[in-house]
This record gives sequence, structure tokens and C-alpha cells, in this order.
Amino acid sequence: MSGAGNREAVFPTRQSLGIMKAKLKGAETGHSLLKRKSEALTKRFREITRRIDEAKRKMGRVMQIAAFSLAEVTYATGGQIGYQVQESVKAARFRIRSKQENVSGVQLPAFESYITEENNDFGLTGLGRGGQQVQKCRDVYGKAVETLVELASLQTAFVILDDVIKVVNRRVAAIEHVIIPRTENTIKYINSELDELDREEFYRLKKVKNNKKKALDEAEAELAKLREEQGEQLTITGSDEPADILADEEEKDVIF
Amino acid sequence: MEGLFFNIHSGYVEGIVRGYRNSLLTSSNYSNLTQCETLEDLKLQLTPSYGEQLSNVASPFPTSTIAAKATEKLVQDFRYLRAQATGALAKFMDFLTYSYMIDNVALLITGTLHERDTKDLLERCHPLGFFEGLPALCVASNIEELYSIVLVETPLAPFFKDNLRSADLDELNIEIVRNTLYKSYLEAFHEFCTTDPELSGTATAELMSEIIGFEADRRAINITLNSFGTELSKSDRKKLYPEIGKLHPEGTLMLSRADDPEAVRLAIEIVGEYRSFFDQGGIGQGGGGIGGGTQKSLEDVFYQKEMELAKGTFTHHFTFAVVYAWLKLQEQEIRNITWIAECIAQNQKDRIGNYISVF
Repeated sequence: MSGAGNREAVFPTRQSLGIMKAKLKGAETGHSLLKRKSEALTKRFREITRRIDEAKRKMGRVMQIAAFSLAEVTYATGGQIGYQVQESVKAARFRIRSKQENVSGVQLPAFESYITEENNDFGLTGLGRGGQQVQKCRDVYGKAVETLVELASLQTAFVILDDVIKVVNRRVAAIEHVIIPRTENTIKYINSELDELDREEFYRLKKVKNNKKKALDEAEAELAKLREEQGEQLTITGSDEPADILADEEEKDVIF
Repeated sequence: MEGLFFNIHSGYVEGIVRGYRNSLLTSSNYSNLTQCETLEDLKLQLTPSYGEQLSNVASPFPTSTIAAKATEKLVQDFRYLRAQATGALAKFMDFLTYSYMIDNVALLITGTLHERDTKDLLERCHPLGFFEGLPALCVASNIEELYSIVLVETPLAPFFKDNLRSADLDELNIEIVRNTLYKSYLEAFHEFCTTDPELSGTATAELMSEIIGFEADRRAINITLNSFGTELSKSDRKKLYPEIGKLHPEGTLMLSRADDPEAVRLAIEIVGEYRSFFDQGGIGQGGGGIGGGTQKSLEDVFYQKEMELAKGTFTHHFTFAVVYAWLKLQEQEIRNITWIAECIAQNQKDRIGNYISVF
């Protein structure tokens, strides 16, 4: 266990213990939230993948039909109309609107296509012959472009979601495997340090108490000794010289 | 009586044309073509007719190459004929090229209007409609210049002079310009065939007036059908109808008032031959809709009819109309080949039979 290495550089104090505990709690909440977000995104991601698959298949079909309708135009008009169509177009008939879609906090762009019906720049192309085919071809290609737009919108969402999911998953993993263990370690460390301090303190106090006791004992012993000596002296002085009543106030009270 | 002297000038050309006609693809050729799995096979099948042109095509080639090469052959053959032709036949063949010229000039007008480099457009021009003055049109930088150069340099001057002013080129839709020119061209061609001293009263006049009349009717009907839902007004539309053909004048008058396909049907019912067209061809359903296999569009019916007329022309002798017929048949053949090639390339075998086989 990397107990010693993998922890934050904090002073093992009660305050930082409190901070760490709050942090651990925050990390756990964040982890569960991110996990849920990741799940939501993955669900969406799978759905988009499925829709991309569908759209691609559809595109294959539609593009085939479109290419074939162009062949029909070539057959009916018997010539090149491409240049004329190119030149007679003035404004886009097929337009795209972009909007944002919010999937658990991720902004996904969605493209929406619409056709401006009044915009019919080459309506007269192939007037002499093949006009109906030209119009039909245009409609078919319009549908093809619609499919492409749908696909583009899905692909963009796919790429963005892919990125976001990666980031979220990395965060989840980071919280799960780095931040939470580290915080836990730190808490453990702080606790052990604090216990250690407690023990030291206790020992110190004990020591101090012992010392004090020792000192007290010594002092008492000294005092006892002193008293003994004093007692002896008293007896000595009492026998040697007359007691000076005025000199020593500390004379024992005479109890009657 | 006309047969007596016809061969002096035009016998050789007629012979050549009949030879060309025999080299056109037949139904059995077409059915072989439709069996092809790849474009390579198709190329192999086409070798008898187009071997010379297709031999140098490198292997993966787009379908447009086949069409381009086939057109090349057509142009080559046509130029050879044109070089042999003299007198009225030469003039007749010039008339044939005018329709392509109209397309080319229209293309250049489009380019000039949008201030593109028109020199690039020369390559897109149909080679049959290429004439000496065409590159000169590229010099024009604005539409007035172009108009005056067209009047001076091109054989199309008469069609322009009577119908369009230089301002019209700017204001009108290019399709309207094109169709105005085409109308004028058809009328001029018709007049040439029926009134030219060498041609009037001959089989040529008789055949060509029928063919041109049909062409005029076809354009009138197509213009009417295609103009529904566009900004083309009824009076403008009426101006685009050629004043010849079986529909003129009652039919075209009715067409000019038509608002929907049903009115068109009523209008053309006055001509017996056209009555059945609408029943055969789904109107407004050009191409028969996506995946609609066998249904023919009105365009197809028209092409079919055109080919029948062209085929019928070959039953006559001593006439220039065979040249016209051959040209149309060859064009249809190119379209057919392109169609089959597209179907093969795009793997749409169910509609491969949509070509028009004549012989």
C-alpha cells in the first residue's frame, strides 16, 4: 500500500482532516454524478451509432437512385445540361438551419434542412425536352442531400459525443482510482499522525506527572529532613543557652 | 422524274448513308448489350460498330467516355458526308447542323451573361454545331457585342434577327431564347424543304415536312408540359410554338391556353396520331417514377415515334431525308448505348430494357 507516498501534502491537523473529509464526500458525489452522466451519454451514443448506420444505408440507396435519375436526364435531354444548370442558379434552394441540442450538459449541433420552394432558378431547363426529368432529378437529389445533411448532423454528434464520453470516463476513472484513494490515504495518514501525537502527548504528560511527583517527593523528603535537623537544633539550643524570648517570634505557641 | 437526275449529285451520299444505316445496332445487338455484366463486356460488344474509337480507351472508363467516343464517330461520319455533299444537299445538311449551333450559341450566351471565360466553353460545345465563327463569339465580353457578332459571323443570323433584340438576351431566360431560336429554325427548315426549287414537290419535301412537323408538335407539347409551375406566362409560351406541324393552328391555340396535363390531352386529341400518346405515356411522370420498370414516359413515346418516322424514311428513294433520319437514328443509338452503359455501371438491370430499338 502506497500509504506513505500517495497522499496530499497537508499538515496533519484536525482542520485539514475536516477539509479532507469534506473533499472525500465531494469526490464521491461527483463520481456518482459523472458516472450517471457517462451512462446517459453512452446510451445516446449507441442510439446515434444505430441511426448513423441506418442513415448510411439509406444514403446508399438514395444516392443510387439519384445517380440513376441523372442518367435518365442525360437520356432524355441527350446532352450536357450541367453547365446551364450551374449558371442559372442564383440562390440556394436547399438550406440548412443549425440548432443546439442539449444532452446531459453536452451541446450537440443538429442540422435541419429546409427547401425554399419559391426558389426555382432552373425551372425552365429542358423546356424543349427532358424538363420533367430535370425537375424529377432535382427532387431526387434534393432528397439525397437531405439524407446527407441528416448524416452529417449525426456524424458531428457522434464525434462530439465520443470526445465527451472519453473525457467523462477519464474523469470518472480519475476520481475513482486517484482522487478517492488519495483522499482516503490522506485521511488515514492524518488520523495516524493525530493518534501518534495523542500518544506522544499522553506519554509526555505522564512523564511530566512523574517528574513532578518525583520533585514533590524529593521536596517533601528535604523538608522532613530539614525539620528533623531543626528539631535537633532546637533541642541543642534549648540546652545550651537561655531562650531569647524576644528574638524568636517563631517560637512554638505555648498552649495552655 | 426527280429520280432521273438525283444520282448525279447526291447518289453517292445516299449510298453511304444507307450503308451507315446498315451498321446501326439491331435488336439482337441490343439484347447482347443488355446481357453485359461490366463495361468491359459492353466495349467488346460494341467493337464491330465503334471498335476504331473505343480501342484506345484505357480500361476503367466512365460511361460518358462511351457516349463521347460514339459521338465522335457520328461527327466523323457526318463531316465526311458533308464534304461530299453539293448544292441543295449541302444546304440541307447545313440546316441539320443549325440545331446544334443553337445549343452552342445558347451555351456561349449563358457563359457571357455570367461573365465566365467562354473559351473553356468551346470544349463543351457540340462538335456538329461547331462553325468557323464560333470561337469569334468568345471574344465578346458583353451581350451587345455578342449579339452583333452572332448577326455577322454565324449562320444563325436570320433566326436572331427576326426574333430577338440584344436586350432580350439579357432579360429573357436562356431557355426561352433557345426555344425561340429553335422555333424560328424549324420554320426556316420547313420552308427550305418545301419551297426550295430543287426540293419542292420531291419526296424530300414530303418526308421532311412530316418529320419537321412532328418535331414542331413535339416541342410544342413538351414546352407546354414543362412550363407548368414555372414563371413562363401563357402568352410567352404561345410565342415559342412553331407555326407548323399538325397541331398548328388549332392545337397550338388550345395548348397555349392549357393549365394542366388534361388540357394538353384535349388539345392534342384533335390529331389522331397523338391521341394514343397520352395513354401510352404517363404524363407528368417522366421516366415512369423511381423503379417503375416498364412504364414509358411521354418523352419515350415521342422518341419512339421519331424513330419510326426515321425508319420509314429509308423506304423512300432519292431523298435527302435519309440523311436526317440517319443522324437521328445514330443519335438515338448513342443515347441507347449510354443508357445501357449507365444501367450496367449503376447495377440497375431492371430498367435496362428502356432503350428504343429500331431495327
